[in-house]
Amino acid sequence: MAEKVAIIGDSTSVAGFRPLGVAVFPVAEPADAHAIWPEVASGAYGIVFVTEPVYAELAEEIAAIADRPVPAVTVIPGAGSPGGVGEAKLARAIERAVGTSTLIREEEA
Amino acid sequence: MSVLRVNPNRMELLKLKRRRDVAKRGHKLLKDKFDELLKEFLARISDSRRLRREVEARLSHAYALLAVARAEAGRTDLAQALLAGEPADLVTTAERNVMSVRVPEIEAGEIPQPGGYSLGTMPAVLDEALEALAETLPLMIELAQREKAIELLAAEIERTRRRVNALEHVLIPSIVETIKSVQMKLDEAERGNLTRLMKVKDMLEQQRAEEQRSAE
Repeated sequence: MAEKVAIIGDSTSVAGFRPLGVAVFPVAEPADAHAIWPEVASGAYGIVFVTEPVYAELAEEIAAIADRPVPAVTVIPGAGSPGGVGEAKLARAIERAVGTSTLIREEEA
Repeated sequence: MSVLRVNPNRMELLKLKRRRDVAKRGHKLLKDKFDELLKEFLARISDSRRLRREVEARLSHAYALLAVARAEAGRTDLAQALLAGEPADLVTTAERNVMSVRVPEIEAGEIPQPGGYSLGTMPAVLDEALEALAETLPLMIELAQREKAIELLAAEIERTRRRVNALEHVLIPSIVETIKSVQMKLDEAERGNLTRLMKVKDMLEQQRAEEQRSAE
């Protein structure tokens, strides 16, 4: 099934994606994303990218649809955000499954 | 371990034994499923980690180029230049079944060529920035698919582990314990019955002996 891709974040981070065919939802403040979320999560989009500040704001809403196969919500670093939130999200998933995330971190290092 | 509340009779004992066998079989199946899920999960993690690092590095590079473009062209002009472009169907999604977990398969389609802005007024670095973003987008899409699969697998693994543990540490021990207690109660009743019979036999023999004595 052909689907669109959405991105939510501050306009500096997301504007560059519009010419590439991504549905861009710029927000002035991360809290504004609450208003946009229902439309984005309704199933019209296969993938939703959110910048780190927006993810921090929407964590609950995102967790609520985590068990559905689509949309796949993925955190990307925004312009000027330090990164690492996506990695932390992954580490949490590992911890959930294995019970510890240290083991795999060591193995990777 | 708590003993289930059942009547101690043979019928219940049979039923309990049957339940124990079913629970043990279920436990083995779930345990196998858990192992397989974990194998699948661990195989995906390191790839996904590597991909995420690459995506983050590429994105920050692209953001830097965009910042240069913004500085050269001015914020409003750049924003206007980037208004071109319609949301397109960028990906095709399907579902795959991995050990009964529905995992999305997302394939990146063709990404539109960025354009629609004046090449005369916009700095060349904008082209470069958009190109960098266009190169990163397929990786981002792949990352999205992989991370989603990992999250779904993690949730299923957690659920399966709970079930395995509940069977292993709660249900099966309590059934085994109940079987033991029913068995003991039945044995006790059996012994009680036996001694009663022996006692009756003794009494009857005594009676008979007394009758014989009085007849003589």
